[in-house]
Amino acid sequence: MSTPSPTAIAWQRRRAAVGRVWQEFLSDRGGLFGLAALSLIVALAVFAPLLSDASGLDPTHATGRPLEAPSGHFLLGTDNLGRSVLLQVWWGARISLLVGVLATLVSVGIGTLVGVAAAHFGGWTSAVLMRFTDFFLVLPSLVLAIALSTVLNRGIFAIVLAVGVTSWPSTARLVRAQTLAVESRPYIERAWALGAGHVHVIIRHVLPAVAALVFANTTLTVANSIIAESTLSFLGLGDPNAASWGEMLNAALGSGAVTYGAWWYLLPPGLAIALVVLAFMLAGRALETVLNPRLRER
Amino acid sequence: MGFRRLAAGLVATALALLGASTATGAGAPTAHAADQKVLRVAVTTTVASLNPFLASHAADTEFGRLMYEFLTADDQKDQHPIGGLADKWDVAKDNLTWTFHVRDGMTWSDRQPITSRDIAYTYNLMLTNPTAGTANGNFVKNFDTVTAPDEHTVVIKTKRPQATMLALDVPIVPEHVWSKVTDIGKYTNLQFPVVGSGPFVLTDYKQDQYATLKANPTFFRGRPAIDELQFIHYDNPDAAVQGLLKGDVDLVSRLTPAQFNALQGKPNIALNKAQGHRLNDLLINPGAQTNTHERIGDGNPALADVTLRQAIAQAIDAKTLVDKVYGGYAEVGSGYIPPVFSQYHWSPPADQERGFDLAAANRTLDAAGYPKGTDGIRVDKTGKPLTLRLLGDSGTATDQPSSQYVKSWLGQIGIGVDVQMVSSDKFSDAGVAGRYDLAFGSWGANPDPDAVLAVQTCANLPDAAGNGNSENFLCDPDYERLYAEQSAELDTAKRAEIVKQMQARLYELDTSVITAYPNQLEAYRSDHVTGFGLQPDPGGVITQQNGYWGYYYAKPAAAAEQSAGAGLGLLIGIAVAVVLVAGAALLVVRRRRVNADERE
Repeated sequence: MSTPSPTAIAWQRRRAAVGRVWQEFLSDRGGLFGLAALSLIVALAVFAPLLSDASGLDPTHATGRPLEAPSGHFLLGTDNLGRSVLLQVWWGARISLLVGVLATLVSVGIGTLVGVAAAHFGGWTSAVLMRFTDFFLVLPSLVLAIALSTVLNRGIFAIVLAVGVTSWPSTARLVRAQTLAVESRPYIERAWALGAGHVHVIIRHVLPAVAALVFANTTLTVANSIIAESTLSFLGLGDPNAASWGEMLNAALGSGAVTYGAWWYLLPPGLAIALVVLAFMLAGRALETVLNPRLRER
Repeated sequence: MGFRRLAAGLVATALALLGASTATGAGAPTAHAADQKVLRVAVTTTVASLNPFLASHAADTEFGRLMYEFLTADDQKDQHPIGGLADKWDVAKDNLTWTFHVRDGMTWSDRQPITSRDIAYTYNLMLTNPTAGTANGNFVKNFDTVTAPDEHTVVIKTKRPQATMLALDVPIVPEHVWSKVTDIGKYTNLQFPVVGSGPFVLTDYKQDQYATLKANPTFFRGRPAIDELQFIHYDNPDAAVQGLLKGDVDLVSRLTPAQFNALQGKPNIALNKAQGHRLNDLLINPGAQTNTHERIGDGNPALADVTLRQAIAQAIDAKTLVDKVYGGYAEVGSGYIPPVFSQYHWSPPADQERGFDLAAANRTLDAAGYPKGTDGIRVDKTGKPLTLRLLGDSGTATDQPSSQYVKSWLGQIGIGVDVQMVSSDKFSDAGVAGRYDLAFGSWGANPDPDAVLAVQTCANLPDAAGNGNSENFLCDPDYERLYAEQSAELDTAKRAEIVKQMQARLYELDTSVITAYPNQLEAYRSDHVTGFGLQPDPGGVITQQNGYWGYYYAKPAAAAEQSAGAGLGLLIGIAVAVVLVAGAALLVVRRRRVNADERE
């Protein structure tokens, strides 16, 4: 009775570790700011349908004149079809964040799979997987993403796939290095000696050990994915059914807003991208410093 | 070390800049001798071919018109047929034999005489070589024989009477050049200077960069007032407008409404809002087919139902599109021929006009057996949800905003819309292959309606290889009969009646909904250039004419006669180079001093 079960001990240890990480994270002011900004933006994006009226996005119900300057009625002015820019930026956050997160899941998923497999199995599996990774690493990812999104059928998922498939190699390299480090530890050797199989070692020992690093890396990858999505949409390769910030910039440029001097149509989506990316970067960097032992020692 | 390398780099950049500005002075299109009168035009469209037998896009044919005179021309003021290479003509009583008299004393730009043999050569080439008929084959396919009995006479015998004999939009090419061409399909026609008969001679061209044309001193109407015409390519319209504001270019066309409004009242910028000769429409794919009636593409089969198409047409509010998307710079769409050609334009009489009525469209669909599902989307007769893809060209400014409206309206009658904006290349590929349900289309009409009417005929359906020029895969027996009637009707008033019946038939079929006849919005530097010949005049366009009058009559504005801009490029280049060299020197000096300080 008095001795807790091994699972309970493990969970206790994990809770303690999370608490430590959180404490250290709290000491990083930039990271805290990033986290606060992100929480606010995500909350606004998630609750947009409750807090605002989506019918304002429908041009047939738009009440403003085209390219109206900011005023009390339209805080950020109107776009070329007389719709509120503020409302579009707000709703655009949903698409931009969704695409950013989904693309990151694809990217980190592939990266983790390849990285762990390469380090765990070693030998020619590693050689083949790493050359494959190198191949993707040297390809200019934007060009590849443009090519992919041109070939694939249009839609959010084409963009998710195009961004995800082109941004995984750095995750793979990182995960591989961490896996190698973990697998050289004695407790893994002990697990082998006790008759553990590949699945057991990878799932019970390797993945939990690399998870923290992968998580920190994920946060940074989201920022890159959002930039990549905005770039593709800005270049007119996005999904016009989903008004992301990149799509807004594309529409603004296409309607001659630059010549018109409609800064209220161009700046808000651009600043929104910058803010979200900055928030993800700050939070991600702080998390990485806490979780990556090499960075922490410095 | 790093700094020194930077300094060396700066010097190298400066030298390169200096070199570049002198190099441009020598050959390429930006710098000129001070007395050269140059008109610089910004273009954002891509030229597909400068071979006049292949060129069918608007950007391509504009070059064809500048480089080659046609048999007859369209008047600048009211676009009626006037003499081109031919100055007189008559038609025999049977309405089949046309005799054209070729003007005396004309020469090609290489001083070889222009004779009737060149004209006969061009038409016969198109008759015998299918590739040569790619762009303009519809004009000659009814020709029986073309002969040149003497140097000044061309005799054309047609199989059936042909109404377009004075509107043959076919560039006439010099036989002594083209008879040496072995493969028309592969010939780029870029042997500079390109021998021609039009007001300008093409002397230099780089795809998607620039094209330079020099005034043709042998042009039979007289040499143009300007010496040189440059088309400078810009990747997007806003960049082109900035070029205009800075004075890098003198003329920009196809402005967006926002740009046009923004340019109002700017110093030295003059605006031209012209009644355009294009029609923009929404294509509803009725079932794509080849000329052997084999189904192609992946259009939604439900759209074969004319009732469904009519309901869709009723849910499109052309007035709102014109007001919002076109900023009011368009006429509201009705019949197929644009109203600028008032003789042939048709609009539905009050009792036939459907008008914009979502409630009526909903009722029609309810009655026609398209019940609404629980999610508000109707299902078609096979029980599948009625969701249509709407294809737009991301290179066309109006497509993206229009798609937002169409999506909303069709949503309100229970039809889902999945908007797909694709590049111009992919757009035209999908168009030819019929891979769309709904798509935005646009056609330019000529003073003679034959060509634009022909794109709705069975004969223009694509062949198995995808070569064809069909607007929306229409092949309707009633329309065919009327088309044949109008093309054989030489009495203009009677022909106009038939053309109007054809448009009424198209309105019933609703394979396309005409949304707008956009105004052509143009702007130019009034301090650099003046005197453009508008077509039609007044109220017409400068660029994209059925002719060359805009550029032909252009002349330098009085203030710009002593062109200051000519040597300016070189001066700026030198100034930049001087500044850079000075900066680099300063850096080197500073770096030395810092080094010395550090050493102490």
